[in-house]
Amino acid sequence: MAKTYAKPGILEQLRADYFSNKLDAAMTLVFGTLVIWVVWNLLGWGIIHAVWTQENREMCGHGGDGACWAVIDARWRLILFGLYPFEEQWRSAIACIAIITVGILSCVPAFWHGKKLAALWITGFAIYYVLMRGGVFGLSEVSVQDWGGLSLTIFVFAAVTLLGMPTAIIFALLRRSDLPWISRTMGLIIDSIRSLPLLSIMFTFAVVLPFVLPSWLPTEKLYLVVIGYALFFACYQAEIIRGGMQALSAGQEEAAKALGMSYWQRISYIVLPQAFRNALPPTINQLVITFKETSLVVIIGFFEVLASGNAAYGNSDWNFAHIEVYSFVGLIYFIFVFSLSRYGAYLERRLAVATR
Amino acid sequence: MTDSQTAVRIANMDKFYATFHALKSIDLEVAKGERIVICGPSGSGKSTLIRCINKLEDYQAGSINVLGTELDDNLDNIDEIRRETGMVFQHFNLFPHMTILENCTLAPMLVRKQPRVEAEAVAMEYLTKVRIPEQADKYPGQLSGGQQQRVAIARALCMKPEIMLFDEPTSALDPEMISEVLDVMVSLADEGMTMICVTHEMGFARQVADRVVFMADGEIVEQGAPEPFFNNPQQERTKAFLGQILGH
Repeated sequence: MAKTYAKPGILEQLRADYFSNKLDAAMTLVFGTLVIWVVWNLLGWGIIHAVWTQENREMCGHGGDGACWAVIDARWRLILFGLYPFEEQWRSAIACIAIITVGILSCVPAFWHGKKLAALWITGFAIYYVLMRGGVFGLSEVSVQDWGGLSLTIFVFAAVTLLGMPTAIIFALLRRSDLPWISRTMGLIIDSIRSLPLLSIMFTFAVVLPFVLPSWLPTEKLYLVVIGYALFFACYQAEIIRGGMQALSAGQEEAAKALGMSYWQRISYIVLPQAFRNALPPTINQLVITFKETSLVVIIGFFEVLASGNAAYGNSDWNFAHIEVYSFVGLIYFIFVFSLSRYGAYLERRLAVATR
Repeated sequence: MTDSQTAVRIANMDKFYATFHALKSIDLEVAKGERIVICGPSGSGKSTLIRCINKLEDYQAGSINVLGTELDDNLDNIDEIRRETGMVFQHFNLFPHMTILENCTLAPMLVRKQPRVEAEAVAMEYLTKVRIPEQADKYPGQLSGGQQQRVAIARALCMKPEIMLFDEPTSALDPEMISEVLDVMVSLADEGMTMICVTHEMGFARQVADRVVFMADGEIVEQGAPEPFFNNPQQERTKAFLGQILGH
């Protein structure tokens, strides 16, 4: 008679996984208790004893055993929209949703064609700009200096990535040029920019550059900072892409050459798709870092979501509620970073079929 | 031989890797429809020679003319020659991120500007010819080595080349898969394709080659029809080589 596999019962499985010997059992008890204690306290603070609405705000801060989410109820618009004029904040909301929608759509494989992506992003940024800036279609004009909150964070991130990614590809291709003077010069540029702190690059682009640039060029600080940041991003991402290219066997390009494919055909159909697949984990990593470091635009006086959060509790009414505000901002960051990482995992699964 | 019947003419060609003289004054003329087998010990330059014909390797002196087009530094000429020569590699070099069908249709669509429908029809025709039409929607990684190499041959044929170059097509295969690839090559030879094959398969050479070229140390040492070449080699180095690979 053939043997059959007997699935272990739950108790047996628990015993095997967590209580297999004395040390194992002891560690399970210690860490299990710790986890339960932390979760219980968080639940108690964040949900059970929490104050949720402004009407109950006088209950905040007394007894001190619950979170005061009333601060979010009162100040969420400041956190999400910064200094943007209160009456016009619906524009900022729609603009933000437009960019996020475009971002999500461009993650869908059906949109992975150069022309579709270009059309998508041009539309997205056009909607964003018209809504945020105003001055047309009867919308009142809002100065770029007043853009802020989550809308600004998303805009900086999207613009940096979108400008930075094609630049990174070009940098990576120049870096591996057959002509030594091109590849070495590119290497020198990449190394120089990577050796500078992002903060100093942003400062230089926003504050110093306007004095140097000819007067007919736009000198809006926000755009200059985005360009500087994109350059910084491109240098890191170029090395990530180059790493992905190096993992390709020389035979791939040779096969494409032997089929008569031109340089750009080889790059866009054979080299880059495989390089990006190889470089997916570090690319997602770089995007996460880039998203978080958008908070540095505060040094040139822009109130992105973190700085707006600082402002939200920075008055006498709410100055005790910084933990709640930071938790809320942290949650926003987490939602974006977690989505990025899940998307990365999806891409890895999708591409895994073709890797074996 | 008049020009219109010449497929490849290599004249007095030299290749250097830095200071290493890899190919020495190579003269080789291949007629249209001719099947050439190049053999020789490892390091003799036979792969380098075949890779010079579609400029995967550069050469430093002499000339190569393929189907009437001079293979020089002119990129248009290089593209022209690559369109007309198919190549099959030792390690298949299929594109792993594309299905078998996409591997076969990519170059015809991009380079020959064939419409997708037409390219797919041609691809299925050649996949049927190499006897794996049912694998069209799989990825290369899901196929055995022998199947991958047959796809590689189909992929090259989809460009409708005048000349096929084979660079040790069976060297990376498990022994039981060699014959399925050789069978495809034999049927291709029977149809009159101009073929230049670097291979150690001497049975194949005897069966289909019009001429066997023996190389050693970057030189063509001896060449001739298979019968006299195998039965009555003239040069000592040829005898030694044949003794080693046929000697047991």
